[in-house]
Amino acid sequence: MGSLFRSEEVALCQLFLQSESAYTCVSELGELGLVQFRDLNPDVNAFQRKFVNEVRRCDEMERKLRYLEREIRRDAIPMQDTGDNPEAPMPREMIDLEANFEKLENELKEVNSNAEALKRNYLELTELRHILKKTQVFFDEEGHLWPWQAEAMYPPNLPPDQAPYFDDDDETINLLTDISLHQLKHIGFVAGVILRERVASFERMLWRACRGNVFLRQAQIEEPLEDPATGEQVYKSVFIIFFQGEQLKLRVKKICEGFRATMYPCPEAPADRREMAMGVKTRLDDLNTVLSQTQDHRHRVLVSAARNLRSWMLKVWKIKAIYHSLNMFNIDTIQNGLIAECWIPVPDLETVQLALRRGTEKSGSLPAILNRLSCVESPPTFHRTNKFTRAFQGLIDSYGVASYREMNPAVYTIITFPFLFAIMFGDLGHGIIMTLFGAWMVWKEKPLSVKKVDSEIWNIFFGGRYIILLMGTFSMYTGIIYNDVFSKSLNLFGSSWHVPFNESTIRDNREIMLDPKQPDQYEGTPYPIGLDPLWQLAANKINFLNSYKMKISIIFGIVHMMFGIILSLWNHRFFNRRLNVLCEFIPQVLFMSCLFVYLTLLVFIKWVNYGAGEDVPLVLTPGCAPSILITFINMVLMKGYEEAKGPNSCSAYMYDGQFYLQRMMVVVAVICVPWMLVAKPYFLYRASKQRAMLGTGGVEGAMEETPSTMPVQPAEDHDMSEILIHQGIHTIEFVLGSVSHTASYLRLWALSLAHAQLSEVLWGMVLRIGLSTAGTTGGFAMYFIFAAWATLTVVILVLMEGLSAFLHTLRLHWVEFQSKFYEGQGYAFVPFSFDSILEANESTVTEAK
Amino acid sequence: MFIFQNIIIMLDSAFNIDCGYLEGLVRGFRNGILRQHDYLNLVQCESLDDLKLHLQSTDYGSFLANEASPLQVSVIDDKLREKLVIEFQHMRNHAVEPLATFMDYITYGYMIDNIVLLITGALHQRPISELMPKCHPLGTFDQIEAINVANTSVELYNAVLVDTPLAEFFGECVSEQDLDELNIEIIRNTLYKAYLESFYNYCKNLGGPTAEVMCPILAFEADRRAFIITVNSFGTELTKEDRAKLYPTCGRLYPDGLAALARADDPENVKQVAEFYAEYRALFEGAGNNPGEKTLEDKFFEYEVKLNVNAFMHQFHCGVFYSYLRLKEQECRNIVWISECIAQKHRAKIDNYIPIL
Repeated sequence: MGSLFRSEEVALCQLFLQSESAYTCVSELGELGLVQFRDLNPDVNAFQRKFVNEVRRCDEMERKLRYLEREIRRDAIPMQDTGDNPEAPMPREMIDLEANFEKLENELKEVNSNAEALKRNYLELTELRHILKKTQVFFDEEGHLWPWQAEAMYPPNLPPDQAPYFDDDDETINLLTDISLHQLKHIGFVAGVILRERVASFERMLWRACRGNVFLRQAQIEEPLEDPATGEQVYKSVFIIFFQGEQLKLRVKKICEGFRATMYPCPEAPADRREMAMGVKTRLDDLNTVLSQTQDHRHRVLVSAARNLRSWMLKVWKIKAIYHSLNMFNIDTIQNGLIAECWIPVPDLETVQLALRRGTEKSGSLPAILNRLSCVESPPTFHRTNKFTRAFQGLIDSYGVASYREMNPAVYTIITFPFLFAIMFGDLGHGIIMTLFGAWMVWKEKPLSVKKVDSEIWNIFFGGRYIILLMGTFSMYTGIIYNDVFSKSLNLFGSSWHVPFNESTIRDNREIMLDPKQPDQYEGTPYPIGLDPLWQLAANKINFLNSYKMKISIIFGIVHMMFGIILSLWNHRFFNRRLNVLCEFIPQVLFMSCLFVYLTLLVFIKWVNYGAGEDVPLVLTPGCAPSILITFINMVLMKGYEEAKGPNSCSAYMYDGQFYLQRMMVVVAVICVPWMLVAKPYFLYRASKQRAMLGTGGVEGAMEETPSTMPVQPAEDHDMSEILIHQGIHTIEFVLGSVSHTASYLRLWALSLAHAQLSEVLWGMVLRIGLSTAGTTGGFAMYFIFAAWATLTVVILVLMEGLSAFLHTLRLHWVEFQSKFYEGQGYAFVPFSFDSILEANESTVTEAK
Repeated sequence: MFIFQNIIIMLDSAFNIDCGYLEGLVRGFRNGILRQHDYLNLVQCESLDDLKLHLQSTDYGSFLANEASPLQVSVIDDKLREKLVIEFQHMRNHAVEPLATFMDYITYGYMIDNIVLLITGALHQRPISELMPKCHPLGTFDQIEAINVANTSVELYNAVLVDTPLAEFFGECVSEQDLDELNIEIIRNTLYKAYLESFYNYCKNLGGPTAEVMCPILAFEADRRAFIITVNSFGTELTKEDRAKLYPTCGRLYPDGLAALARADDPENVKQVAEFYAEYRALFEGAGNNPGEKTLEDKFFEYEVKLNVNAFMHQFHCGVFYSYLRLKEQECRNIVWISECIAQKHRAKIDNYIPIL
């Protein structure tokens, strides 16, 4: 049997590696991605393992690379993703890499600290420039208060830290000024720059702390300034505070410091200020050139780093992954080697051997030895998938990973899933939209998968592109069968029905019906494919469709479930569980056939036998057809009917001997229940008793349960009560389930009805308004109404309804179908593979952004 | 409509309308608190890098990944605190009333500590910029750096604190005296007393499970302060009357126990007071400074951890936010303690951490 139907055989192997070649061998295995290592030291802490130092060095390298990456991102330099996959470097190359990264990091740090110092300088000068500019306005306004300014009598050679305020040395100058300004003698001021959002509390604090004895003016700096430490753009304000006296000066300075305001010397005299402004400007220009040179240098360093960053990152990740794997190995102290245990799919043993040989050749040491072990525990489940089956396998695995080597429902799901979906989503138009979307994703597969999109929704859609494509095509098919295109029908082949009545007859008789017996009304041959378009106009369209779709859903449901039960036979046969075939499979099939398969047979009998032809006897006319529901209920209740009185009266029976056959089938079905319930526990009980009597000879009895191909399970101590309870639950689940699961398939009808009705409502309420508006206005109205209709169709009918139908289909597969045979108790095979590790790392990196 | 609203308020589950998301979040965070086996692994670490490696496997994840080796204990401390503060602030930003006020109340305690730290530093002529990194980030406010403007408590109040939420707690300690060491301690304790009482009343008024959970925790906090103030006051200039004024009155010791504490002259008397209260007696009994014995402080911490862990047993209340912060702080103290022991190669006392879960 192909690998699709069951998971692959996986063998537990032991690997002896020479310590020199271990690294290269594991590296080769990582490239291969077919080996799952087992952790042989689960009790050892992460930091007590053998290669913890190497892991730590990798962490350190990663940190440096992340630092580089951050810097590169900050300068918005494009990083080259050449897509090449460098091999894991040899351990000795690690030192080179480390040295290289160390050098780069230090260089960058130095450049950064230089740049930061320069930027700080630059910021200070810019702030000073703004202060000089803004305070000019203040001084101009207060000009009449400061008449002595114009005379510029202050010594221009004041050191900058004394410049902002008057000192007692100014006595002589003040003597020269007007006597009325005497009180201004000790007025000083402080100018500075503060973050704009702190101005309000700064002002309040000043006022409180100085009891209102200071005067603050402030103006906003319009353009944002760059904070040298964080590189963010911040808005700031210029302020100038006037105060009187030494005491206040101290206090004001303290407050300024407290609010992280930067204070700058600002000369009193306009001329000095002008001079200073000039000086600042030239210094700014100089600084600009230096800054741009530093930036250039930084840019050059980063660009050269950006070229290799990705491949470095990949290398480091690979080294780290290898050492993580090596940490899981046992150390063989005698032979100076490493011992690993791993799961390998049996067909790939050769490939793994080859990879190991390559690994040892590279390091040039003794060859690695691969031993196959027999094992007690059940191996992991490994399904080899391709891009087409992967999504379907994913649907199954999200319910539960298959037990080792049991039937894999994914294969059948490939067809049943889109088919059941399409029954609920039957509309040619919507199907076409979905198919086109799916086909586009499949067509553009390569470019789309290379482009990494973070949107989770898109990734879900793209991951399920083949499912979408199949669902779309199947919906187109069911759409043709239902003859629904956006809720309208296509009359491709010409309807088989004709309306012979004239207009007045139709107007007068509200309940006029077409009679299939009349050749002028019905041609005698049905519409070639799908529903006759005439039904679109019929008042009893819904009744007709309901009956049709309900029956269809029950039929498909029972076929689906029967198929599931039959698959369980393949499981029982594969695992050699003869007891299960006898005590579970056979009664289950009997139970289902006697009740539900018979129900579908009744449906077919009714469809085939009863009809409205010319020469049909009365018993077989539509009016005489018995209700299947009533028949089935009476069958289970074992109720009989009176026989038909004569050839000309209707009969409750569809064929001769129906009553007795039905009674027999119910009896068989009822017998099946205790059969399922007690047979298996009884046989197990007898077997265990025999074993007990035979003593050690009973091993053969146990062997009957476990086939020779399977790894030997430890003999379980069969606890009778546990088996009984388990079997009881199993039986009740099956018997009740067969009823509720059959009813559950009615969702196929319900959703299909809802979908058809919703699209009809959308047509009638939206598009028809546009279609029925006459004239030019109608044309314009149609333009907008069509847009609305199209949007609603895609969003509600295709997306929302599609999602709901998808979920219902998923449920039908997980619960109704898989409960019949699927255990889902296994665990997935997770090979040590560089590809998946790199992918995982990359996604965490993108998340961190 | 009015009756309807009342019914809604009475329903505990209505808590989820406003705070359900945050409660879920904080419970998720709580599950990341280190467990006993994590500590057992941590104390086996040979170096701080080992510690970092182990913490990577816990909820802390890669919080130290961007720090260059060799690690410093102070870096670990900063990063632990930074992570906690980010979590707390995230929750505070999403909180609505009454949780918002509740969470603000939590921060007031840190503000008091910060103010006292800065004033004490300023007294010793240390520049504010050097002290700021030592302040807890949850307790900062706009005016905090300008605190050294104040020389007396009146100035402190008028200039700095009047705009902060602490203003209402400051009523009793305004005086014209210059700030000195003793004064500052008195201010700290008076502020804390007013703060605890106010917080206690706030929780009580919230009612429901919040009051049920928070009142015992805050009562214990109050009693602990009362005990510690008493024990620390022996041999200082603090008079008994002044001391009695510092006791928070929202604990279980109020009023008899506090009156007895006010009369206490030596640690033995304090122990006698605790005798009357079953849970405190147990704390005092096993405490001691000899090797092998746990200090009273650790005993108190252990009891606090127990109370806070129990807070998570209730649902639909704000107390989990307080408890989470407290537990996480204890965890930070534990990690820092273990890191210090590892860094100083002084492993004898490495087991003196306080296990949480």
